[in-house]
Order: sequence, then structure tokens, then C-alpha cells
Amino acid sequence: MIELEQITKQYPGQAMPAVDKLYLSIPKGEICVLVGPSGCGKSTILRMINRMIEPTSGVVKINGQDVTSTNPDQLRMGIGYVIQQIGLLPHRTIAENIAIVPRLYKWPKEKIKQRVDELIVMMGLDLEKTRGKYPSQLSGGQMQRVGVARAMAVDPPIMLMDEPFGAVDPIARTHLQDELLRLQKEIKKTIVFVTHDINEAIKMGDRIAIFNAGQLVQFGTPEEILTNPINEFVEDFIGRDRVVKKLNLYLAEDAMQPIKCLLREDELQNVAQKMKDAGAEVAFLVNETGKASGQISAGDVAEFGMDIEGLRKRARRRSNAFVQTTTPFPDALSLLLEYDADYLGVLKGEELCGVLSFQGIRKHVYRKEGE
Amino acid sequence: MTLTDFVNFLVKNSKTIMEYSENHFTLVLLAVGISLLIWVPVGLLLTKSDKWAARVLALANTIFCIPSLSMFAILVTIPMFGLGRKSALLALVLYAMMPLIRSVYDGVKNVDRNVIEAARGMGMSTKRILVEILVPLGMPIIFAGFRITVVMTTGIAAIATYIGERNLGRFIQEGLVRSNTPMMVTGALIISIIAIGLDTILGMIEKRIVPKGLRVSR
Repeated sequence: MIELEQITKQYPGQAMPAVDKLYLSIPKGEICVLVGPSGCGKSTILRMINRMIEPTSGVVKINGQDVTSTNPDQLRMGIGYVIQQIGLLPHRTIAENIAIVPRLYKWPKEKIKQRVDELIVMMGLDLEKTRGKYPSQLSGGQMQRVGVARAMAVDPPIMLMDEPFGAVDPIARTHLQDELLRLQKEIKKTIVFVTHDINEAIKMGDRIAIFNAGQLVQFGTPEEILTNPINEFVEDFIGRDRVVKKLNLYLAEDAMQPIKCLLREDELQNVAQKMKDAGAEVAFLVNETGKASGQISAGDVAEFGMDIEGLRKRARRRSNAFVQTTTPFPDALSLLLEYDADYLGVLKGEELCGVLSFQGIRKHVYRKEGE
Repeated sequence: MTLTDFVNFLVKNSKTIMEYSENHFTLVLLAVGISLLIWVPVGLLLTKSDKWAARVLALANTIFCIPSLSMFAILVTIPMFGLGRKSALLALVLYAMMPLIRSVYDGVKNVDRNVIEAARGMGMSTKRILVEILVPLGMPIIFAGFRITVVMTTGIAAIATYIGERNLGRFIQEGLVRSNTPMMVTGALIISIIAIGLDTILGMIEKRIVPKGLRVSR
């Protein structure tokens, strides 16, 4: 756990303190995102945790211990640090770059090599091709992977990341974000993550701290912040599409309902009766192999009546109108709009396990909004 | 002058040529060695303070502007130094100040700040950062300055003959006075060969010493 107590940072020659009497407690094992417009003091706060900057007054504690009780170099060796510009040593190979902190800890050579290889693979880089390369031979996205690997080399419990994905292209950024989230599920580090991008904050943060002009404006989970922005500044910062952004927080399984009507493709002629019996608004078809292959809604039945071929065609057109349980709402909504459908089948792997409706999404968001 | 005259001069005076070359070499080596010992640490120190860097670099520039003949003349008048090696050495070391300090300072200052920031953030000590990052990354610029220093020192050392150094400059000086063309050419040629030779050798060393990662491209 990281605690900032009454932290103030006053730069000489500046009227306003960069950080003003801040109290912030960052829970263990979570990603805490510090977000705000440029110059709000978020980077300064991050850099005070590993003593790259010393506060003018106040105490930073890690697991209850004042950071100034440790020699700064020792302290930093135990905290992963990733910056936007990465700062790989250009004259060292990728393997040597990752090995920097293990070498500071004087690990035996064999252990270092093993760990470096492990990290290169973990970061999704080609081990044989990457190990001996120099940073200038990598792309921006690959370099930042190495940057993250380097910070994780000695498996530090805390990682500080200062706009780590700010300089890579949008596609690589999404990949890096997804991978960090996937890794975090396993490694459960305490990560302090600075960004100026509210969307990145919502995506990455277990908790978000919004700053403005050296002050902490709001601190809470993404859901809390999106649901109850504390003031106009936060509202503006989040943007007018606040509720649409909130959709990112929910997955298909959150609003999934049980399937009421399921039939084989050769039972299509009975679809009207079956749906009526089950009281279902939508029926899903499965093919001979048991795989979900399409859907028929009550509207389709009314439209086609006994025209079984027409129904079959309609069902097939929606053969891809399925999402996974872990699909976020925005992607599901996109599919609903794409297929002009009211329902989507929800799959867990290959297995059909529920139905997600347009209405269900609306209700789920509305209920959360009302909380 | 015919080629025979020249060859005759070389053969007849081979002992003197050897002696002068040796003297020339020793003076250059000593001067460069002392310069490195003094100016490299000074250059490194200056990277810590912009204020002092500006002052010292200005001083080095001023010294560098003094014509070598004037410099030797001035030093000779100082009783502690007088005619001879001491004055010659001091002058050469003073001339080396500008290129060496400047290149060390520029080399280190040119290192990407983000690399230093990242290294510091990982817990590398100041000393380690200096040895493992600043010096190797500054090496291309530092070494360029070093090469210039060596070549320049070889040239200026010849002028020290006017204050009593018995080196290759003497052939040129006496050759001029006596209108002895073979003598003049011998001095001029050997000094040039030494300068070019040293520069070539240093060029080869530079290739080995500049970190590989700075040379590879995508």
C-alpha cells in the first residue's frame, strides 16, 4: 500500500504549489490511475513515490514505511519504473537492457539469463530474434514492451508508469493496454499509472484519481466517477458521452439472460409454436454439430409466417450475431446495430449460454446509473 | 632538390632524424597524456554546473585563440617555466583544454535525458550512470575531440622548437634559415606522416570503442 500524507510540492519561483496538501491512499494489488490535464501535478506525484522528486513537505509511505528512510537508489531498485520515452540504453542489447536491475541486485548470470528470456516471451516478443537486438532496431511498440519487461525484471511489488503508452500508435497502444491488464490479473502488482487520457484511465484503472491544479478533485472506481462526477470540472473532463463511456465497464455476461427457446435447424417449421410455448421473444438455432447458427425473433415470425425458407435465410443472416461473455457492451451494441437486431446470443467459448438484449443493456446501465 | 639529395640527407642524418622524431613523439605523448588526465575530469565536472561550464569554456576558448608562437613567447618570460620542455608542455596542455573539455562536456550533455532519467529511476547510482551510460554514449563526440587534440598537438609541438625543443620542427626552422631544402622537406614530411598516422590509428580505435548499438541501424 502506498500512502501520501499531506504532500506538498512547491517549485521555486512558482506562485502555485505543483501539488497542494495531498492525501492519497493507493491500495495494494490495484491499478490506480492518476489523470488530469497537463500541469495538474500528476507526474510530480508519481515521481515523489520513488524519490525522483522530493516533496517540500509531507510523507510518502510504502507499506507503512517512510520512503526517506531508505537510500534513494535502493528504494528505486525495488520499484518498477516506466516512462513515456522509455529510455532504453541505446548501446545495450535488449537482453542487457532488461538485465539492468537484476545486475544491480547482483543476481548470478544464469538466473539473469533465465529471467530475461522469460520476460521477453511474456511480453510477446520473439525470443531468438529480439534478445541480441539493439533498441534502435525495434518499433515503438516493441520498445515499450521491453520498457515494461525491464521494469518487471526483479518482480517488484510496485510499478510506477508515467504515460507509458502515450508515444505509441493507437493500435499498438490498445495491444499494450490489453496485455498489461491480462498480465495484471496474474501478477497483481500495485501499479500507479499516469495518463492525461480519460479513456485510458477508465480502461486501465481499478481506481482513478482526477487532479486539477495540484488538487485531488475526485478519487474512486471508474464506475463511481462516471456515475457521480463530483463537480463540473470532472464532468467536463469525462466528456458529455459520460454514460456511453460507462458502457466500457460492463461485459455481456453482466446483463445476460437465460435462453428460453432453442431449436435445431430442422425444427424450423415449429418455431412459432415453440416460442409461444416458451414465452420467448427470440429463438436460437443450433446445427447438427450443436453449434449456434442463427436466431429468429418474434418479429421475424410475424413477418414471414409460414415461409420457412424466408425464416431460414433471416436466421442465417444473423449467424454471426453472437458475442462472448467477456465482450464489453460497446462491441455488443455495435453488433446489434450492425445486424439490426434486438438480441444477441452470448457464447462461452463455443457454447451458447445466454441472450443479451438491447433492452437488457439499457436497463443494466440505467440501474447502475440510478445507484 | 633532386630525389638523390633528399635520400642522401636521410641516410647521412638518420641518427638525428631518429632523435628528433623520438623527442617529438615523447612531447606529444606527454602533452596528450597530461591533458587527458586534467581536462577529461574537468569536462565531466562541468556537466554538473551550467554556470561554471560557461565560464570555463569561455576561458578555454580565449586561450585557444592565442597564436602558438605568442603563447610560447609569453611562457618563456615566466621564470618558473623559461626555455625548454616545461613551457612547451604547458602550452600544449593549455591548447588541448578547449577541444577536450568541449568534447567531453558536449558528449555527456548530448546523452538523451530520458535514458538518464530511466536509469536513475531503476536505481542506478550516479557513478554507475557516469561509467555505464554517460561516457559510452558520449564517446563518439569525446573521441572526435580527442583525435583533433592529438593531431593539433603534433603540429604545435613542432613550433616548440623555437623555445629549445630539439624535435622535428627544428629541421623546418633550420632548413628555412639555411635554405636547405632536403632538411626542410624531411621535417615537414615526417611531422605530417606522424600526424596522419596517429589520426588513422585513432580512427581505427574509435571504431572499436564506439558502442555497437550506436552504429547499427534498423
